[in-house]
Amino acid sequence: MTTLDLDQTTQVSARSAAPAAAPAGTPVSLPFRHLPDMVDRTCERYARQHAFTAVLPNGMFGNLSFAHVRRDADRFAAFLREELGLAAGDRVAIQLPNSLAYPICAFGVLKAGCVLVNTNPLYTPAEMIHQFNDSGARVLVIVDLFGDKIAPVLERTGIEHVVLVRLTDRFSRLPGFVAYNVIKYWNRLVPACTAPTISFQEALSRGARHLHERSVDVAAYTAATSPDDLAVLQYTGGTTGVSKGAMLSHRNLLANVAQIEERVAGNVTHGAECPLAVLPLYHIFAFTTNLLYFFQAGARNVLVANPRPLSNLQRAIENYPISWIPGVNTLFNGLLNEEWFADHPPPKLRGSIAGGTALHTTVAERWQRVTGTPIIEGYGLTECSPVVTLNPFEANRPGSIGLPLLGTEVRLLNAYGEAAAPGEPGELAVRGPQVMQGYWQRPEETAKVIKDGWLLTGDIAEIDADGYLRIVDRKKDLIIVSGFNVYPNEVEDCIAACPGVAEVAVVGLPDAKTGEMVKAFVVAKPGAALTAEQVREHCKQYLAAYKVPKAVELRAELPKSPVGKVLRRELRAEARVTHQEEGGVNG
Amino acid sequence: MVSQTEQLLLALMIGVIMLGMGASLTWRDFFRAFKRPQAILIGFASQYLLMPAIGFSLAVALQLPPAIAIGLIIISCMPGGSTSNIFTYFAKGDLALSVTMTTFSTLAAFVMAPLWIFLYGSRFMTSEISVGMSSVIVGLVVMLIPVVIGMFIRRRNANVGALLELLGGILGVVIILALIALWVPRNAPLLATTPWQVYAAAVGVGVIGFFFGFLVSQGVGLGFRRATTVALETGIQNGPLALSIVLLSFQGELANEIALIPVLYSLFIVITSSLVTVFFRRQNELRQQYVGALL
Repeated sequence: MTTLDLDQTTQVSARSAAPAAAPAGTPVSLPFRHLPDMVDRTCERYARQHAFTAVLPNGMFGNLSFAHVRRDADRFAAFLREELGLAAGDRVAIQLPNSLAYPICAFGVLKAGCVLVNTNPLYTPAEMIHQFNDSGARVLVIVDLFGDKIAPVLERTGIEHVVLVRLTDRFSRLPGFVAYNVIKYWNRLVPACTAPTISFQEALSRGARHLHERSVDVAAYTAATSPDDLAVLQYTGGTTGVSKGAMLSHRNLLANVAQIEERVAGNVTHGAECPLAVLPLYHIFAFTTNLLYFFQAGARNVLVANPRPLSNLQRAIENYPISWIPGVNTLFNGLLNEEWFADHPPPKLRGSIAGGTALHTTVAERWQRVTGTPIIEGYGLTECSPVVTLNPFEANRPGSIGLPLLGTEVRLLNAYGEAAAPGEPGELAVRGPQVMQGYWQRPEETAKVIKDGWLLTGDIAEIDADGYLRIVDRKKDLIIVSGFNVYPNEVEDCIAACPGVAEVAVVGLPDAKTGEMVKAFVVAKPGAALTAEQVREHCKQYLAAYKVPKAVELRAELPKSPVGKVLRRELRAEARVTHQEEGGVNG
Repeated sequence: MVSQTEQLLLALMIGVIMLGMGASLTWRDFFRAFKRPQAILIGFASQYLLMPAIGFSLAVALQLPPAIAIGLIIISCMPGGSTSNIFTYFAKGDLALSVTMTTFSTLAAFVMAPLWIFLYGSRFMTSEISVGMSSVIVGLVVMLIPVVIGMFIRRRNANVGALLELLGGILGVVIILALIALWVPRNAPLLATTPWQVYAAAVGVGVIGFFFGFLVSQGVGLGFRRATTVALETGIQNGPLALSIVLLSFQGELANEIALIPVLYSLFIVITSSLVTVFFRRQNELRQQYVGALL
């Protein structure tokens, strides 16, 4: 990933940011024994309140109370263990958009003592196959909107059972029936599914039968679970491009919840918040903020499955007293451009949390002006469950990613792995209870990024006199398209397999809309009649949409180093000159 | 031409449709419409300056006989019809703006309709024309009450609101199709004997209204969505009101002759509006804001 000599990091004297409020290295006490304990205690406490409300673009909705979350999660856990015969530690892949089924399944998997494998529903079969084989998932829970991907995946993975979810599952009967049929027959979004599956509703009722008839005790599944047991496998490309599972334990995630709580304390009223969950819950950002943090704070998460077009959010925002919006730059910017939002920003809004990509200062300022509330920017990565730094609500500094969370130590390292000189930027290294246990079954990869408990983020940061951090640049060649990591290697591998392609290099270029865009430079084989469109078509077959190069340039040769390594940096510099876009991701 | 029971049934269905339309609205939508009064003003101007002028110009240009011309003048001086709201809804236009404009133009019709009918009509005929406004008020109430109830229902329960909206939408399409399907065969003899100039006037007044309404709105920068709304509002007139005015003011053969264009207009406007709506809907959908995948 870098040229830095990792052995030297151990000799580095820790130069950690130590804000007065949260001394670095302070132990973070876990508010719960493990995640199932969090679910149970939260659901007991707020039993009759709404925990989740899923809202469709036409305003139809379904509610889940905390009591029902617990009941259904127990049923799903019993289904996994009793009906499907899973054991503690078995992996269950969940591939769902934001819907009422998501929390039930996610919590159900954890309550069964199994490991949750979050999977992007937009993945292609090839990406699914890699992730399921790597994680060794035995069960797949997938939304019917992508049911056509199941059959090709089943043949080539160890998936034994598939649970098919409808977007409207757990809605009340009539709205659910009508909405489902609108989706199926008017929008025609439900493809035929030939693979053997069991419906989510059926899974729940079978689980219920086990609970009632055989008086199964769900709590027993996790009675022996320790905080350091694996809870979630969260896939990320890391720095090398091969998708790897970051092993997040109960402790990692609960610590992050406690750390967020400490940072926002006083601005979140337990049992009274209504956060918008428009970021996908399968992504670590919304997973930890919405599904874990706000949930345990007794909040009512308003779930939106698809924010495209953005007007899909109008009913959700108008019909519910939205008080928090965790989001990314593109979302905030897009909402500000919607007249219905800018004219009548949510009246109960208290604050918003930005992550994923750099928040543009102009967007932050406009948001504050229009909504009268701040966007608190933070920084995190999958490997850190994810939050590392977050601005304090009362001392928010636009342009900064804030201060390290409670119990989180940070260091800046220079190119040689030594502590960067004071005031100089350096690679951000993190140590804290939220740092992952490692990459699933990849000790060498883990050793590359974790040294003596310090996680090397690959991001270059600066730190000011008050301990506030600012991200300067990305060290890796990683391209971030709308918050999605795109690994040039992966895209290059894909294009290289396209008939007629001799050589390829992929770089990221600044893009006004998506932060960065993927650009491919392709050299065709002699005599091959290759077009840019063919390359893009090829990519579309094998890669999720956000990874497909937006621009493909055919050229005679690629710039190379003396040893024949393609110089991406040179291509990028060259392309940036011709590229009229100004201001990069850190703008 | 339309039986009593059919009229009642129609009014009832319009009521259900407007209930559904209302269920898609909030008070904020109306605040937004009022926050930008230029859209309302442009709509008002194109309703009462543009349309009467278009009607009069067509009558002159096509050299229509006086009785036919009066019919055209009357239809062009009418306020917006409630069907404009339904088409605006389907076109994904600004429904609150449409409802607001229909309400304003209907209230203004007390003064504006007789004024313009007198000004432009006197060239063709000098007889007294009584504009019966009681039916206008009834029409407005029939339209507005369900809208308000629909809004209230959505506020109380978004699921019931969404179901009503869906029902209203389906019923809207059914009515549009039924109007065309029932009306054409029944009036086939009339359609066969009508000279082309009359067709041109009956179809043209609506289409030219769409065109200029859209053009003017785009010209002053209302934005595409509001421009589609103003266009539909301008071109779609309150046909039933025109008919009742004709039947109230004239008798016998003359009444039939004058009613010709209002009747033909009412048929063709459903067809032309449907076509325009399909186009506007697609364009409005394309103009929605699609941000890239969020994460």
